[in-house]
Amino acid sequence: MTEPIPPEQPVTQDTTRRSALVALFLGVVAIAIGYATAFRRGGAPVWAPWLLAVGIPVTIGGIMILGAARGRRGIGPLKIPFAFVVAVLAVGFSAALALPANEIALSKLWLGLPLRAAIVIYGVGLLPVFVLPIAYALTFETQTLNAEDVERVRELGRANRATAEYCGPTAIANHGLIEECEPTANREPNQHK
Amino acid sequence: MISLANVSGLIQVALPNATRPAVVTVGILYFAVIVGISVWAARRTRTANDFFVAGKGIGLVALTIASVSVSVSGFAFIGGPGLIYAVGLGAMYIVLPAAVTNVMGAWVLAKRMRLLGEARSLITIPDAIGARYRSRAAQGLSAVAILVGIVGYMATNALAMGVVINSIFGVGLGWGIWIGMGVTLAYSASGGILAGIYNDVFQGTLMAVASVLVFLFVLNFGGGLGEISRTILAHDPILLGPWGKLTPLAALSFFFVFSMGSLGQPQAVHKYYMLRDPLQLKWYPLLKTLGLVLVLLLYFSVGVGVKAFVLSGRLPPLASPDQATPTLLLKVTPILLAALVFSGVAAATMSAANSFINIGAAIVTHDLPVAFGRRVKNELRWGRVVTILIAIAAAITAQRSGTMVAFLGIFGWGLFASTLVPALAVGLNWQGATRAGAIASITTGLIVTLALETTAYWKVFTFPAGVTASAVAMVSSFIVFFIVSWLTRRRAATEIDPDVRLVMEL
Repeated sequence: MTEPIPPEQPVTQDTTRRSALVALFLGVVAIAIGYATAFRRGGAPVWAPWLLAVGIPVTIGGIMILGAARGRRGIGPLKIPFAFVVAVLAVGFSAALALPANEIALSKLWLGLPLRAAIVIYGVGLLPVFVLPIAYALTFETQTLNAEDVERVRELGRANRATAEYCGPTAIANHGLIEECEPTANREPNQHK
Repeated sequence: MISLANVSGLIQVALPNATRPAVVTVGILYFAVIVGISVWAARRTRTANDFFVAGKGIGLVALTIASVSVSVSGFAFIGGPGLIYAVGLGAMYIVLPAAVTNVMGAWVLAKRMRLLGEARSLITIPDAIGARYRSRAAQGLSAVAILVGIVGYMATNALAMGVVINSIFGVGLGWGIWIGMGVTLAYSASGGILAGIYNDVFQGTLMAVASVLVFLFVLNFGGGLGEISRTILAHDPILLGPWGKLTPLAALSFFFVFSMGSLGQPQAVHKYYMLRDPLQLKWYPLLKTLGLVLVLLLYFSVGVGVKAFVLSGRLPPLASPDQATPTLLLKVTPILLAALVFSGVAAATMSAANSFINIGAAIVTHDLPVAFGRRVKNELRWGRVVTILIAIAAAITAQRSGTMVAFLGIFGWGLFASTLVPALAVGLNWQGATRAGAIASITTGLIVTLALETTAYWKVFTFPAGVTASAVAMVSSFIVFFIVSWLTRRRAATEIDPDVRLVMEL
């Protein structure tokens, strides 16, 4: 069971999440610059797509790490599938950009497609299917959710519902009223209404 | 570009008349099953919780198939293959993100939203935003953003339903719209999301079966993917380049908008609340990804297959790219398979419409009153009333003006993405995100999307090649979210309730 970070501790101690946020931000900025260059008079420069080719995998990797990070334990064994998928996307896009456009009728086909198309369709579009969902399932109890976690949250839910009973049905939905109502929590249900 | 593709797939296509005894029979059977499921579900809908989140009691397989069903619109069956026919593999960048989006959504949103539902009895996406930031303003603003997007999506889907039903039964577009919306409304208002979910299960299964059968048929008819590729390479090799006839920037832009943007699509994200047991999330991404791959087989195979058949003279040239699927179905495939796919297209539009109607009703009867510190006394009754009003409004809008509907349909996906992804997807995973950051980000997404789409629609402004309003709005919203949260970071720790903090830490 992971202990939650007490509120008084600065969030910045969590290096995994911090790194993921930096990656996410830098990825988005790279993509934004890529778009911005397209507004130039001569159109987007040849390097603009490269910013997206790198920025997109970094952004996806960043947000996945942010979502998968658990307490201060980070992402544990998930770093391998995450690195793999970010690399597959980056290499796939880069190969599509860098390899020569020489598709002809007699081109060698890879599973029915010319090389660059095969890299994109099978690499970018299919390879992650065999890695990420399986990694998610295999690490689910240790990294994502277990019965103990669910019970802790259900306990909170029961407490919240009890608060709502004391404070009226809008207490939970009207954010912030929970605290205002807490001093009255020892009253009989609905006594205050 | 994304949106235009979507609109052309769902609105501007005049589907050919497919009225044949077999097509009509399958169509009638399809509607009979829908009615049967709806009657069953209506008897089990007793509370607002049942109506909006199916009592949080849906099993894994049902939820997965339903989620696949609402993730795929009629675009995957009509407009998408047409886009591949026109621009080649560049159109694949719309669906390639499916390889990562489901599991990304599971890590980023599913667990936290499902647990928040458990802790706070939440039933909507704005609920989650409100709880995360302890802010009625953020909840109300996100509700408004979703409602604006839904208006467009609903009108688009109403018209799409009219087009498909007219094609199957030959009843005329106007009657098609009212029949489609009438059936959808009947099950949405009576059985709420419970009816929606189990109809989605039926519809999703139908779509997957139709897609796989068409995929196998096309490969068999074309002599395998290799032969199909050889034919295209001999005539127009650019189509099988990695970007097709798009620029690399445009193709990659598709990937960005449809990958990150998936985290803000309410019809899919809302489903996370409904899973009976949160521990069943374990297999959800795997099952959903496999389901989506099956449903999207038609998208790829019809696009490249019909191109090859036309280039080799086995099919006549198409009047427009969007005729790729109908032409293949009516001229080549067995009529029963055609009937199945036409019903699948109807299923896709009805499934999406039902989901949006339900979310819209929840916003009007739940989120907006909560934003003003009030609660509607009988959310179930008012949910049903608003469901009827939304459906009627969508049908009337769809009938009145195709042009206006096209405009409304343009910004749905982008609006959801730019207003919800930073505040919801990042915010639920970053304790440093602040209320001010969320509100600024949602406002930015809303204003930038509406402003850019409106000026582009009225031709006041033209985007450079490869850039879309959705993409610009999403990156703007992200950057504003980060900057404002950083500037107001001192407040971050005080803006999270302890139970929400626990959910964010797990």
